[in-house]
Amino acid sequence: MAIDRLTGENSLLFIKSEQMFDWARSRSLWYMAFGIACCAIEGLMHASGPRFDFDRHGVFFRASPRQADVMIVAGTVNHKMAETVKRLYDQMPEPKWVVAMGACASTGGPFREYPNVVLGVDKIVPVDVYIPGCPPRPESVQYAFLTLMDKIKAQTEQRLDARRDAHS
Amino acid sequence: MPDVTHIADALSRADVVPETLESADGLGAVVRVASVDAAAALRALRESSHAYDYPVDVFGVDTGEGVDIVYHLRSLSHGEEVFVKTAYPYGGELTSVWELFPAALMPEREAAEMFGLTLSGHPNPKHLLLTSGIEPLLLKRVAIRTAGEVRNR
Amino acid sequence: MSDPRAQVEHAGWLSSVAPAQPSTRPVSAWGAVVGVDSLATDRLILNMGPQHPSTHGVLRVLLELDGEEVLAGEAVVGYLHRGIEKLAESRRYNAVGTLMDRGDYMSGIHNELAFALAAEKLAGIEVPRRASWLRVLMGEINRIASHLVWYGTMGLDAGAMGQFLYAVRDREVLLDILEDVTGQRMMFNYVRPGGVVADFTPTAEKKLRAFLETIDGYLDEHEALLGGNEIFQARLTGVGVIMKETALAFGLSGANLRASGVSFDVRKDLPYAAYDEMEFAVPVAREGDCFARYLVRMGELRQAVAIVRQCIDGLPEGEYTAKVPKVLRPPAGEAYASVESPRGELGVHIVSDGGPSPYRMRYKPPALYALQAGEAMLPGALIADVVVVLGSLDIVLGEIDR
Repeated sequence: MAIDRLTGENSLLFIKSEQMFDWARSRSLWYMAFGIACCAIEGLMHASGPRFDFDRHGVFFRASPRQADVMIVAGTVNHKMAETVKRLYDQMPEPKWVVAMGACASTGGPFREYPNVVLGVDKIVPVDVYIPGCPPRPESVQYAFLTLMDKIKAQTEQRLDARRDAHS
Repeated sequence: MPDVTHIADALSRADVVPETLESADGLGAVVRVASVDAAAALRALRESSHAYDYPVDVFGVDTGEGVDIVYHLRSLSHGEEVFVKTAYPYGGELTSVWELFPAALMPEREAAEMFGLTLSGHPNPKHLLLTSGIEPLLLKRVAIRTAGEVRNR
Repeated sequence: MSDPRAQVEHAGWLSSVAPAQPSTRPVSAWGAVVGVDSLATDRLILNMGPQHPSTHGVLRVLLELDGEEVLAGEAVVGYLHRGIEKLAESRRYNAVGTLMDRGDYMSGIHNELAFALAAEKLAGIEVPRRASWLRVLMGEINRIASHLVWYGTMGLDAGAMGQFLYAVRDREVLLDILEDVTGQRMMFNYVRPGGVVADFTPTAEKKLRAFLETIDGYLDEHEALLGGNEIFQARLTGVGVIMKETALAFGLSGANLRASGVSFDVRKDLPYAAYDEMEFAVPVAREGDCFARYLVRMGELRQAVAIVRQCIDGLPEGEYTAKVPKVLRPPAGEAYASVESPRGELGVHIVSDGGPSPYRMRYKPPALYALQAGEAMLPGALIADVVVVLGSLDIVLGEIDR
């Protein structure tokens, strides 16, 4: 339709306005306070503490998934926890991202041989950034968030590419 | 090596005949009773001269021939410990001792689900740690994942 | 869990103990005008967790409520069950420390130490004196770090946020020291059967002495900030009382037991490592409420600082580990060893069959017994008290679920 050329998803108006929203979103990524295990102490508690201040990146925790942008899965996910993780992910409103923190959330970690452990949270929810380590240092978690900010900014290039491909 | 005569006296007063009673290295007093005598033996020890009224732990061991449930009690007044071992067959029924030692409530649930025993006489015999449908994971016959399985996740 | 009837059955076992009747509250003057005879309320099942800002890990508490009053509560655990006990059966004795670290992740040194002591009992290994002193020193530094986290989160449970940042500030200094010696901020893998892995470094000693200069003043500030706050005192005093007989019957240990009047400390009564050479007091309270547990732990913080001072001043010369084979094969038998972790008596029971791995390793978690006792205290409390009670027990789910 003709109006789509102005306001549809391949229109320059939409892409430029989304670029501005992406800039705002990436500068205030609020994560859900959801610490499963040991990684929660390092990545959520210490990273938000006075030394590795997370607030200077605009990152702060929210207790409810309805108010969060990012879910940091910090800890081992087992079969009992898997249902809860999926449910919390579903309760988060779009746009949302998932950061798999630590070896356990990435691929199962030191407990990978135990049958009750899920080999990585990407079996349950789609993951955007993986952080290796057991536990990763708070600086690693902050670096992961900076990588996530870059990933969000890269969405503008992807939309421009899609626009060029759609029109060609 | 602690003296175990007071334990023998307490058990005989309660008409419980222990299968073995010894003072072991690394543990202290170890007494093995038949599983039907478990509650009576624990009560006798709690009311004995040494007053083993402080429950330290309740757990299970897969011995290859069955499941051993071990009750670890301590006497704070005399500073001594006793381990009461009882044997159950695979798939057997574990009777709860929660009225004697309420500390056994959750550990018994865990021991029952981890070793495939059924729990009776317990107010809340649900699984503690595992979701239903998972095998009793602490049994020796249940294997952990192999490296190949993990690599091909 | 969306069908309320299923939830009632789930939490039903405690309801049979405390049968609920619909409550009839006295009606207000306005109610009389409007023509309402009485307000009969229904029972509500409230699900707290496993994602909750104040459950100290993935704990789920099902509460049956009548208004704000809790009729029955049930703690559901198992969301972090990772099989530490089963996996230990396939690791060599030197490598089990990595699993134990991740049990009670706030106090890794104590976990490793309990396992190392049990393995040494089995194998008959004699630990050099310097190694014992290093174990005590690192253990007490770990205890201060763990209690600081407890202090910060206790305030968070009661609604205060400032003290959390102060606690993390002090904890970061300790984690620097721990990282200097062991290479890791949290999963130290430092204590092995036979001794410790590395010696105390001169840079760590300098940082520790600088820390000891200022910590007493900071602890005074912490106590005034939280303990001196009347809102905190009002929320904790008289709440969650555990009497002495109940505490003993539930197998409580550590600060939870000492706050109910029983003076039992594994470091004094079943001494291990170099604790029989240390001079320290054991704080005991009699009231058994949450504020008593708070005071006992603040007292333990001070005593831990005193022990650290003695350790760093009197560290003896010598080896930091005994000569232990790389693959330790203790003779067949059983051994039990326990340590006083920040949560209570942490015990490890190893059954050995002479092989390179333990045949069965039992990890006795003090927090499991504390959680049981806390669960039994929930009926009759208010919702706000539930959070405070669970916080004062200082539970770590990694230990409960293993």
